[in-house]
Amino acid sequence: MSKKDEVKVDEQLVEEIASLARLDLTKEEREMFVSQFKDILDYVSILNEVNTEDVPPAYLSSANNSAMREDDIEESVPTKEFLANAPQAKDDYIVIPRVHIEQ
Amino acid sequence: MDLHELSIQQAHELLSSRKVSSEELTRAYLERIRRLDPQIKSYVTVSEELALKQAKEADQRIKTGEGLTPLTGIPYSAKDSISTRGINTTCSSKILENYKPFYDATAIKKLNSSNSVLLGKNNMDEFGMGSSTENSGFFTTRNPWNFDYVPGGSSGGSAAAVAAGLTPFSLGEDTGGSVRMPASFCGVTGLKTTYGRVSRYGLIPLVSSFDTIGPMARSVYDVALVLETIAGHDAKDSTSRLEPVENYSEILKTTENLRGLRIGIPKEYFVEGLDSAVDFSVRDAIKHIESLGAEVIEVSLPHTQYAIPVYYLILFAEASSNLAKYDGIRFGLSERSVESLMDVYLKTRETGFGAETKRRIMLGTFALSAGYYDAYYLKAQKVRTLIRQDFQKAFETCDALITPVAPATAFRIGEKITNPLDMYLSDVFVVAVNLAGIPALSVPCGISNGLPIGMQIMGPHLSEETLLRIGHLYQSQTDWHTKHPPL
Repeated sequence: MSKKDEVKVDEQLVEEIASLARLDLTKEEREMFVSQFKDILDYVSILNEVNTEDVPPAYLSSANNSAMREDDIEESVPTKEFLANAPQAKDDYIVIPRVHIEQ
Repeated sequence: MDLHELSIQQAHELLSSRKVSSEELTRAYLERIRRLDPQIKSYVTVSEELALKQAKEADQRIKTGEGLTPLTGIPYSAKDSISTRGINTTCSSKILENYKPFYDATAIKKLNSSNSVLLGKNNMDEFGMGSSTENSGFFTTRNPWNFDYVPGGSSGGSAAAVAAGLTPFSLGEDTGGSVRMPASFCGVTGLKTTYGRVSRYGLIPLVSSFDTIGPMARSVYDVALVLETIAGHDAKDSTSRLEPVENYSEILKTTENLRGLRIGIPKEYFVEGLDSAVDFSVRDAIKHIESLGAEVIEVSLPHTQYAIPVYYLILFAEASSNLAKYDGIRFGLSERSVESLMDVYLKTRETGFGAETKRRIMLGTFALSAGYYDAYYLKAQKVRTLIRQDFQKAFETCDALITPVAPATAFRIGEKITNPLDMYLSDVFVVAVNLAGIPALSVPCGISNGLPIGMQIMGPHLSEETLLRIGHLYQSQTDWHTKHPPL
């Protein structure tokens, strides 16, 4: 019996996952995800039928074994060009909101 | 014949004999995009200024006649997940709405060195998550054959643009059918390349172990011309294959029959639920291919029914990791009317991602979380091994497999969008190929109720040459690929 048989999909679980995924879901989204998660997890549980004892997982997609390359020096991206995409930048640095908020 | 109907080969002949300039060709496409794309909506960005500049450069090169390639001066478009320097690359997501990469993807760089002309970037399901382009953060692309129907996805904009004569070819990207399915729904030819055959450098990742860039065009021959230009090893992508690239188009020119090839028909792909017109057209195409000299046998891929759950579980997991970088700090959308750094993450991701993207991030985060990893992700990776072994076994007895691309023709806009699971099931015939990393070609082979039907030709790793030969000979005997939507 795998743990997935015991999964209880409710709003609390959805909220916990949302917090791990850094998603600030609305109430409507949470409710919708509860019912859709149940359907999808129920559907994928079909994999429990398959005997995978002694079957290795298939992580690597490429035939290459850790390809090596020459350690050539190349021109890197000019900082200004990189920072053009940053939401906020100052003096070659990316600006973020303060991390600590004074009480 | 109008300029937008020319194949790459025909356009190349006119360009190199200087009967038409690249600028004229490019302007003809831009004009057609202006006229038709407000309805079809296949482009997110039209890069007119860059296109005209590149066309003029191509004309200079043609004038000198030095180092011309079949793609010199030929316009093209690219799926909006492929990085283009200085040109918006959005993945059709609001979170990347104004993102301009500061470098070109390797595939784009290779087309640049041929002096091909970038017309613009094509709409897609957000980050490639979907089978209809309805999940685009901006708008839904329409099927040029019937505007009430989806073009397929996720490279739906690319397929619609090729079908409607809004580009001669497009670079698509296939994670779980995203080149083949829209190619089939829109009646164009599309190739899902062997994993690693084309560099992924500059391709914004969805599922790093599945993603492949592949050409979409109006014929197998045109696909071959594009493939031989963009394929090859790249030091910037350690998963790209080291094997030399074949001269596919030359091989096609000298192929006269398919004698000696053995084609397998996997019985699990011709089952209940398969639309009868699709069944008829694909079987008819198989008969044609048999008449060209190939031997046809029945084979079995016993784990076929598990491909969808395996595919989606791995996708959820890898996609949720790949999408963690969209946090409103270094690039892309950023919600700054908040108090803390944590709120920047939360609000940016809540506002920037669409419903399907959030759903998959959530499912992936769950499948990878403590206590569930073994039951979901690891289990899926083990069944993936069995699916790969199915293919290995089949390819011991045959050179290629032929199946339908999709169980039915295109569905109506809105038909499946409210039921995600139903949408996932439309990928039933295409995802196993990505699990195995093998190449597969989608070739038009019929029309039913005014909507195109496609067959899928799959082969072992790096068998692009065989697949292209089969498809090319089939197209030399049939005219499905030459049919245009009534526009």
